[in-house]
Amino acid sequence: MSTRLADRLWPACLSALQLDRFLAGELDELGARRIRQHLVDCSRCAGALEGMRAAHDERLPFLRVVPLAPRARRWRRAAAAGAGIAAAASLLLLVQAPGERVKGSGFALRMYVEHAGEVRRAGPGETVAPGDAVRFAATAPAKAYVAVLSLDSAGRASVYFPLGERAEAVEPGAEVALPLGTRLDATVGEERIVGLFCSSPLELEPLRVQLERGISLAPDGCQVTRWSFVKR
Amino acid sequence: MTLDGAAIERLYRSHGHLVLRRARLLLGSEPDAQEALQEVFASLLRAPQDLRSAGSVVGWLYRATTHFCLNQLRNRRTGARLLQDRVAPALGPSGGPSPDALPELRSLLARMPAAAAAAAVYHHLDGMTYDEIAEMLGCSRRQVGYLLQRAQQSLARLEQSA
Repeated sequence: MSTRLADRLWPACLSALQLDRFLAGELDELGARRIRQHLVDCSRCAGALEGMRAAHDERLPFLRVVPLAPRARRWRRAAAAGAGIAAAASLLLLVQAPGERVKGSGFALRMYVEHAGEVRRAGPGETVAPGDAVRFAATAPAKAYVAVLSLDSAGRASVYFPLGERAEAVEPGAEVALPLGTRLDATVGEERIVGLFCSSPLELEPLRVQLERGISLAPDGCQVTRWSFVKR
Repeated sequence: MTLDGAAIERLYRSHGHLVLRRARLLLGSEPDAQEALQEVFASLLRAPQDLRSAGSVVGWLYRATTHFCLNQLRNRRTGARLLQDRVAPALGPSGGPSPDALPELRSLLARMPAAAAAAAVYHHLDGMTYDEIAEMLGCSRRQVGYLLQRAQQSLARLEQSA
């Protein structure tokens, strides 16, 4: 084979996979001991490992989709017990608090916001900051298809929940935390939130487009909650 | 393995660097690598059972990153833009292969059959043994040999036609 790409481009004799497993503590004691012994005599592998270790010092961005337990009744701020889980402080808390209720319907949507490690329930007109994490919790007396949309100050509409193209079923219950949270982007100004509780899994893109065009959302078969927050 | 949201976030913090490192290598673009980092862990949120059934967290992340990045390279090609002119990231501090050959390799990977491209990545960029590649791809050593041979033939053919 004449091509220079036929040669291995990885500079060490131990594979990147093996060194990553060593760093992650996945190898058994015998395997780890073999690596340690090899590193003593092999400068190429030692150098590669050193480079991989150095990369761990880089600060990772926030995980854009905030993972939380889907039906938590109480959001607990995870204790940052050690450097490896320091970022767990970005998890949101779920606390009992009155929500924004659609009058007479029994459906309610609540938003919680985490800022600098502290979590609070967001009310109408709440002031938040770019990079804050938000998450929603739904109260529904009957099974409903739920979606949460937003319109930011730049006129861009987006769907906060769910990830899919249609409103997602939420079982009846109080304070059912929706499975995904979101980190707020850098667009400052007032952002309007629309929560939908529907009798069918509505397609969301047409609704997002309507919202972006300034049309007030009131789809048939849906209960609607609205409020806004200010990002600055 | 219990894998709730908090566990996934911890995993992101402890293992995200290896995803980012490999995505930078494979994609040669910082924004694309950051996107890959988010997408790999987002896929875990959508299907945590994938990781539960995997024997090794590191191995699963290697597979997921390779799969996502090769798809991205193919998508770029579909978009009629090959990547020879993309700037490879600085590799000095984090180790790894020489950046000189990477833009060329990326454009070639985008044109190879998927399994052969994955085998080539594991062999050329990660320095894996046949046994390790077989584990990654879930196939036999013999199949790995066949895939690498096919990859090399593709590389030679593509280089000749370039």
